Amino acid sequence: MISNDQFYQTLRLRFGFDSFRPGQLEALTSLASGQNTLAVLPTGAGKTLIYELYGAVTHQLVLVVSPLISLMQDQVISLNVRGEKRAAALTSQMSRSEHQWVVNHLKFYRYLFVSPEMLSQPQVLAAVKAVKPGLLVVDEAHCISTWGPDFRPEYLLLGQIRHQLGDPLTLMTTATATNRVKADIKRKMQLSKAAEIIQPVDRPNIFLDVERFEAADDKDARLVELVSELRTPGVIYFSSKKKANEMAELLNAKTSCRVAAYHADLDAETRFKVQQQFMQDQLDVICATSAFGMGIDKNNIRFVIHYHLPGDLESYWQEIGRAGRDGQQSVAILLYLSGDEQLSQFLSDATVPQDDEISYYFKHQPQENSAEKANLIWFYKQHGYREEQIKLAFTKRREQRALALSQLMTYVRIPTCKRAFIQGYFGQPIASKVSQCCVNDSEGLDLQQLGLLVSTPVSSGTQQADWQTIIAQLFNFS
Amino acid sequence: MVCKRTLMVGEETMDAAELIGYLSPTKPRRLRVIENILIGKRTVSTLYWGMRYHQLAWLGYDKQLTRQTMDGHVERLVHDGLLSVTDTNAVLTKKGAERQQVLRQTRYQPKALPVRLTVDLDTFWQRFLLATQVVSEQSYQTRKYYPLQVAWPVKQMIKKWYQQFYSADLSAEFNAVLTRFLKQLAVREATFFSRLLVGHDRPGETLLQLAQQNGLSSSEAHLMLTDLACQFVHFLRAQSDSSVKALLAGLSRQPISESALNTLNRFQAGQALEEIGHQRRLKVSTVKEHLLEAAIMLPVDQFPYEKLLTPQLQNELSDQFATQNLDDWQFNQLSNTQVAFWQFRLFEILRSKQTDDQQ
Repeated sequence: MISNDQFYQTLRLRFGFDSFRPGQLEALTSLASGQNTLAVLPTGAGKTLIYELYGAVTHQLVLVVSPLISLMQDQVISLNVRGEKRAAALTSQMSRSEHQWVVNHLKFYRYLFVSPEMLSQPQVLAAVKAVKPGLLVVDEAHCISTWGPDFRPEYLLLGQIRHQLGDPLTLMTTATATNRVKADIKRKMQLSKAAEIIQPVDRPNIFLDVERFEAADDKDARLVELVSELRTPGVIYFSSKKKANEMAELLNAKTSCRVAAYHADLDAETRFKVQQQFMQDQLDVICATSAFGMGIDKNNIRFVIHYHLPGDLESYWQEIGRAGRDGQQSVAILLYLSGDEQLSQFLSDATVPQDDEISYYFKHQPQENSAEKANLIWFYKQHGYREEQIKLAFTKRREQRALALSQLMTYVRIPTCKRAFIQGYFGQPIASKVSQCCVNDSEGLDLQQLGLLVSTPVSSGTQQADWQTIIAQLFNFS
Repeated sequence: MVCKRTLMVGEETMDAAELIGYLSPTKPRRLRVIENILIGKRTVSTLYWGMRYHQLAWLGYDKQLTRQTMDGHVERLVHDGLLSVTDTNAVLTKKGAERQQVLRQTRYQPKALPVRLTVDLDTFWQRFLLATQVVSEQSYQTRKYYPLQVAWPVKQMIKKWYQQFYSADLSAEFNAVLTRFLKQLAVREATFFSRLLVGHDRPGETLLQLAQQNGLSSSEAHLMLTDLACQFVHFLRAQSDSSVKALLAGLSRQPISESALNTLNRFQAGQALEEIGHQRRLKVSTVKEHLLEAAIMLPVDQFPYEKLLTPQLQNELSDQFATQNLDDWQFNQLSNTQVAFWQFRLFEILRSKQTDDQQ
């Protein structure tokens, strides 16, 4: 068995740290004793370090199942930047030749990132099996439960895939999971005996604020006001790309902040530039959809504002977890306009097929350009489900989504402590009283008192260097 | 899903001002031709009229353009009294012509756009940006940095390129080549170009940010980026070999399709049209279309007109249309002769190039 000394030694050599953050060593020890492990650690706690270190100590392939291509690419780049070249992400965005090259050279890799869909492909599965992964990691494991049947059904196959891989040691990680979700993850992974390493999900340095509006104009005006007053950097989440673009434009015009939109419609060059400008503090505020964030490791984000409601409290907690990773006082503000839940409901409902759609798609094989739902229903049919079973499952699913949204709405409306509500929701004991807690425990949101009021307005516009200066600086001739 | 679009082939970019640029106050132009050129349809009819409209440099410039967007702009211009449309032929009104004049003064006017057709500009731009970043970080001796995300073949190419050149003084070479290039541009353009670049402590600015800083529409900013990249390729081609010029390796393109090029080469080598058709399993009419495409896209001296149009036939046609404007020629005026339509069209192409290309 691997000793703690070995873990500490590698931690020092590879990461330059002397101590682990809470939960990391416990998870490593659990894995070292051969225990399949579910680690629930808050965002920013360093979940990646656990499997990176495990791979470095055991010299075996670490197979990471991850939900988003952009996240996988970020993780590979982070490993590369730290000097680990033996990392790759196998994604649907690759060309045939690139894909083939990676599959043929799996034994040269130490870390391989795949989506569940990619891993379900027989050729990929066989190749991975042949190199005998030493650790299977299910990253963002709550996706098994929250994204399950209506969005990414391949997540449901992960338990079966694990058996096909010869039941490798497994680590499931997530930042947010209620007791129900934890049980769901274990059940779907067929790992009911997995050890649990749980750290409090609370982030005491994030003040929780909810503001309610009756008119859209009031909400927009308040957003402009907040962005003008708040210390930056900050992130504003939207559920529509169009709105993110519009508000980025508005905020650029009405505040002295440097603002940009970030979402999946941007080309690769623009995405890189926006992300790097933000990382290097050349942008103050990002107007993002949920595409932004999962892989972003910027520790001085002072505020996260939600302009639209997310689908559930798990997503909300995940997204506000981007704030204050440096431990400094930060704030999460949810701007709620009466009726916003209908948009959320609509977005949520739109992904879950109705009975008549199920009947139709059950009888009609999907074509190349068929709706996503057609493929979804066909997936279940191919996996031996009967029409009635599918209908029942999706009815249950719809109820579950509606319940998740209503719990988020309770968070919005509850007149008592928001933090206590969250802790109750995630089934965790109420921690000791936080001094700057939430809008209901204070007299509203006082930025001055939180130390989040901007002291000097940020300089507007970027430096107006001429081209000679830029070229000289680029190639170190200045 | 294919690899995410890049800046050069981004989403549809047309705006109404751009459309005005494609139109004429004197000759009605076919809106469908303008649209098909932008989308990149290579039918002989589209290419022929694209040539007559001096629009060939825009072939495939806006592949995402939809009918809806195009019609929306047309409607708006008609509504504003700038455009008059009969069937789907559009001509600028007097007010429209005035606006066109103003736009020619105020809007960015491309200088090297035809270069697009001779190079894989998109791949070149990705290579150039990544190479610039690599060289910049090298000049600061940074080993760990977040690299630009580019298509895999581009990444592989730059790795090999770096292995080949890393011992040279890359930063001095990049500095010198870029300084020479930017010096010959107007200050505004040089600044625009330099701000797009990515390197040490410079994440680079996005096209949208540059558009806002310069008071440009996104359509105009996109055109400026494309044209400046074209100018840069043109500049590099005239330079002696360097690490920067090596980024163009393997990216040259013919302005005509591969199939048309194949037909043209066989014809130049002396094969008869029927023989080409037989060997390539093409209809003879397709073989002729290939030759017409080549004639339209290539300079006069690169196409064997004399082998397809005898001096006698050329004289005959010249006499027939001596007094008429080229765009008014009608094939049915030749009903008494043995001339085939494709020969008539080829003669039109030749005449168009002889008279109009000087414009």
